[in-house]
Amino acid sequence: MKPPAVVRLVARNFAATLDPITLLVMFGQPAFLIVILGTMFNQLIPSVGSSGSYIAFLVPGMIASQMITGAVLCGRIFWLDRRWAMVEQIFSGPFLRAEYLAALLLTALLFSLVGVGIMVLVALPLIGIAHLSALEIAVILGTIALGSLFFGGLLVAIGGRIRSANLYFTIQSLLQYFLIFISTVYYPVTSGTPEVLRAIVYANPLTYAANTVRDAFTHSFGPGDWVAGGILAGLALVSFGLAVLSFRTLELGPVQ
Amino acid sequence: MTAGGEEIVRAERLGFAYTPDRFAIRNLSFAIHRGEVFGLLGRNGAGKTTTVRVLTTLLPPTEGTGHLFGRELHRCGRAERARLGVVLQSESLDFVSVERNLTLYAFLWGVPRELAKSRAEEMLALFELEPVRHRKPWSLSGGERRRFQVARELMHEMELLFLDEPTVGLDALTRRRILEYLARRARGGLAIVFTTHILQEADQLCDRIGVMQGGRTLAIGPPAEIKRQYRGPRSVDVEFEREIAAGEWDGLLGRLRIRGVGLEVTSSSPAALTFRAGNAEDLVAEVVRWTHESGAGLARLSVHETSLEEAFVTLVSEDAAAEPAAKETLE
Repeated sequence: MKPPAVVRLVARNFAATLDPITLLVMFGQPAFLIVILGTMFNQLIPSVGSSGSYIAFLVPGMIASQMITGAVLCGRIFWLDRRWAMVEQIFSGPFLRAEYLAALLLTALLFSLVGVGIMVLVALPLIGIAHLSALEIAVILGTIALGSLFFGGLLVAIGGRIRSANLYFTIQSLLQYFLIFISTVYYPVTSGTPEVLRAIVYANPLTYAANTVRDAFTHSFGPGDWVAGGILAGLALVSFGLAVLSFRTLELGPVQ
Repeated sequence: MTAGGEEIVRAERLGFAYTPDRFAIRNLSFAIHRGEVFGLLGRNGAGKTTTVRVLTTLLPPTEGTGHLFGRELHRCGRAERARLGVVLQSESLDFVSVERNLTLYAFLWGVPRELAKSRAEEMLALFELEPVRHRKPWSLSGGERRRFQVARELMHEMELLFLDEPTVGLDALTRRRILEYLARRARGGLAIVFTTHILQEADQLCDRIGVMQGGRTLAIGPPAEIKRQYRGPRSVDVEFEREIAAGEWDGLLGRLRIRGVGLEVTSSSPAALTFRAGNAEDLVAEVVRWTHESGAGLARLSVHETSLEEAFVTLVSEDAAAEPAAKETLE
């Protein structure tokens, strides 16, 4: 008996797009940041809020940022499939467009979760074992899932409207850096943060995800996090809707 | 050909427009049967690729109706597409080796692993891809890439195969081997829709062809029928047993001019004559009669068969002349 179409598509996404260099870059970079940035800034910053050390602050942020890593992979697969006519080839086969979209988003989610695992392993010698409750683990995974859906859907929606590889990858890179740097992944928002910057940081869904994951790590998960989760879920729904719309009106044919 | 076989594609006044006033194809009506090889011929922009894309459900028809395996195109889904094989004009590939592309594609189609492995070996051998099996498809030559595209599509079972210009860039030997393979598969019941600019291969492979121009079909029928109907002037070579005197030439050519339609003498020598005419067969009888009467003796007489290319040119040129303001189309 053959596996369901979505499973075959997800397996194909992983098999066809992941090579050792890609994996090294996608997971190596955040791991490198945890080790180097964490260690270096740890000496300069005595403590950060309830996290304690800077490295303990950074690790949950890097874990949350894995949703971006998964989404970037998802956008990359979609774009390369368009560029190399695999979208048309798959659509002319025994697959529904909905299944292809679901497979892309599921790939983003799985890749993000693998990233979370790697970040936890990398952080282990630096911050030790995080003793998390089942609820806290569920909150972290749920947040990553919603974030992957949001960012993956967003990149698919954008990728479906653009017909130039240069433009798509430029937008993707800008978005990636903008989202990560203007969020609370690397630094907290404090009373000293300029108002404009604070507004931008709180308009960034990654901020909510990073804060929620961090609260789970520091066992300070509270009502605010449920609100943040609700916002993230709403945004994920909107993003998914945009991706569906983009797929329904997707123009097949050559892209450059 | 099994023209009487089960009908698996039907188009009735099928059309597709990119915008309401910009039709790519219009009023296409034809049927394709199991085991039949149906060729779509036409100049660039004639609408062949759009026809393939509509029939493979990649584009929805905007007018008329089409059926695939008895189901209306608008309602066709996974079940119907699972019975198709599609080699599009645009090259598609995954970023893995040629061999892995084949097995991965088979996996995508749900082909069992062991079968996929043995079929990949068969395809690598058939399409002479063994030497490049570990290379990435984008690093192959144009011909190798095209062979790879066809080989990959043949990794799974299908009942109807669409091939949009599958032999572009292939050398004559490879082309012949692939066409022979496709002919064998057609004899086994596979229906094939085939677009090409190489009319000789359409003549060789196709049971029926549809000639397209400006998004419409100008003619549909077996290649022999198309050649017969649209053969245009044919060329006749005559060699006599002796040299013909000037006065005798005047007599012969005078008789040919009276009876000939569009007669054109293309070459002559003291004992030979080559001419073209729309009614070459009638003039051949006239030449034979004259030779008998004059006692010149006939050493050789041949009427050139019309090639599909000549028929195609005649057909398309006639249409272009009849409708100079041909509609703008896009493939």
